[in-house]
Amino acid sequence: MIPRYQRIIFWSLVGGIALMAAFLLHGCQQAHKRLTALNDATPIAAPTNTNTEDVTLAVANDADASISPNADQVALPQDPSLRARALLDHLLSTYSLPGSAHPLQSGPAVDDVFLVNQSPAPNAAVVISDNAAPVPQSQLAIVNLHDSFVDRHPSGILTEALTIQSIIGTLHFAFPAIKQVRFLVNGQPHDTLAGHADLLRTYPAADTTSHPRPPQLPPDTPDATTDTSTDATHP
Amino acid sequence: MITVTPLKSYNQPKALNPPLKLIAATIFLAALALKAQQPPRIVVLLDPAHGGPDAGAHLSGTLLEKDLTLSLNSRLRAALAPNNFGLISTRDSDPTVPFLTDQRAEIANRTHPAACLTLHATSSGRGIHIVTSALPAPREAADLPSPHAPIPWDAAQSASIPQSLRLANELGVALLHARIPVLLTQGSIPPLDNLNCPAVAIEIAPLSFSKPASINDAAYQQRIVQAIAAGLSSWRAHNPPVVPGASPNTATGAAH
Repeated sequence: MIPRYQRIIFWSLVGGIALMAAFLLHGCQQAHKRLTALNDATPIAAPTNTNTEDVTLAVANDADASISPNADQVALPQDPSLRARALLDHLLSTYSLPGSAHPLQSGPAVDDVFLVNQSPAPNAAVVISDNAAPVPQSQLAIVNLHDSFVDRHPSGILTEALTIQSIIGTLHFAFPAIKQVRFLVNGQPHDTLAGHADLLRTYPAADTTSHPRPPQLPPDTPDATTDTSTDATHP
Repeated sequence: MITVTPLKSYNQPKALNPPLKLIAATIFLAALALKAQQPPRIVVLLDPAHGGPDAGAHLSGTLLEKDLTLSLNSRLRAALAPNNFGLISTRDSDPTVPFLTDQRAEIANRTHPAACLTLHATSSGRGIHIVTSALPAPREAADLPSPHAPIPWDAAQSASIPQSLRLANELGVALLHARIPVLLTQGSIPPLDNLNCPAVAIEIAPLSFSKPASINDAAYQQRIVQAIAAGLSSWRAHNPPVVPGASPNTATGAAH
């Protein structure tokens, strides 16, 4: 005769095993769904015969908060707006590759890029010369982001600022005529990218290449933290 | 003959004995010396970011950014108050209604603090990210607006950029001394551009990439708080404050 307490322990263990098996099965299913979504290779555009071009991408790195120019070869359409969109799609897709220094989730990112010609300032001095090269008209780029890109973007000051600077820097390298950049989300103004970086302001399109320096000791003191007025202690 | 004798004055204090005089003088001088040794009192504004319906980033587990920034606000108050810092917080609890960044900037610009610290947290990256405004700094004194000119709301931080960079550097040095990785960078983060005082955003990330849960570690948070307190004390020592509220400028809602 098996004692009652042993039977209780036995069935408790059996129940625990069943629960763990169910939990494991559920986890496997979730992981499978996630991987399937990442590997969605459905063709969404007809193939075209286009030669690849050399482009420069402003690539972000979370580890040192830097933006570095990176040469790449991409096949781009001729229309400037489509070209800008394809370029940004390529840039942002590189961030979803494994081992990216600025990891973002994959998926649609840029819906449209509108290039708006801006008239020069009315009081700007105009120099007319016979052999002068035509001055390119300055442009405003309006980048219309996909809302799912905004929803999936990691939340944080640094990561959001790097994404914005990377987009602006890449546009600046490829389209020198672009002087300003604005952002929309699904065609509407949006306050921030993921809670931090301002999307309502107009950004100047400039070279965003940067390598932040580490903090420097003030020149007048050998040790900036030797103030005795605080009880803060350093390990 | 009537003789008038003067009334005894009860209000006249008794003359102190010479030893008592000496002791009183010593105590007075000691108090004066102590006061002279104390660093000047400055007001620091702490802005725990997010709050209410705006939860901010979802950090490890169920931890929300708005809760962590509020906790850091309390820790910073406890660390700074004994060191002769006047402290103002934009919020001390979780509001029930949205608390906009413009409202936070209004509080800061009304109180004329010597420094503004906006507190954030993230699960990406590592260490501490100290962010200053990306607005261009004035190149020369002539670029500064006249003292009575209205300041555009979206560029209120511009005149304070050099001081903000020095503040960020001092905080960064103190964090490095505390062996906490730190990155100094710039960005357009509301409400930094709207603040009319030396201002930085301090974003707290996990201590290392392999330990995302370390952001919730009380010991790690306390190290950060102590380093920030040391950095602020150092900044106060190297940048003696002008009289708070001396600037008559007040950021206005002028649109660009």
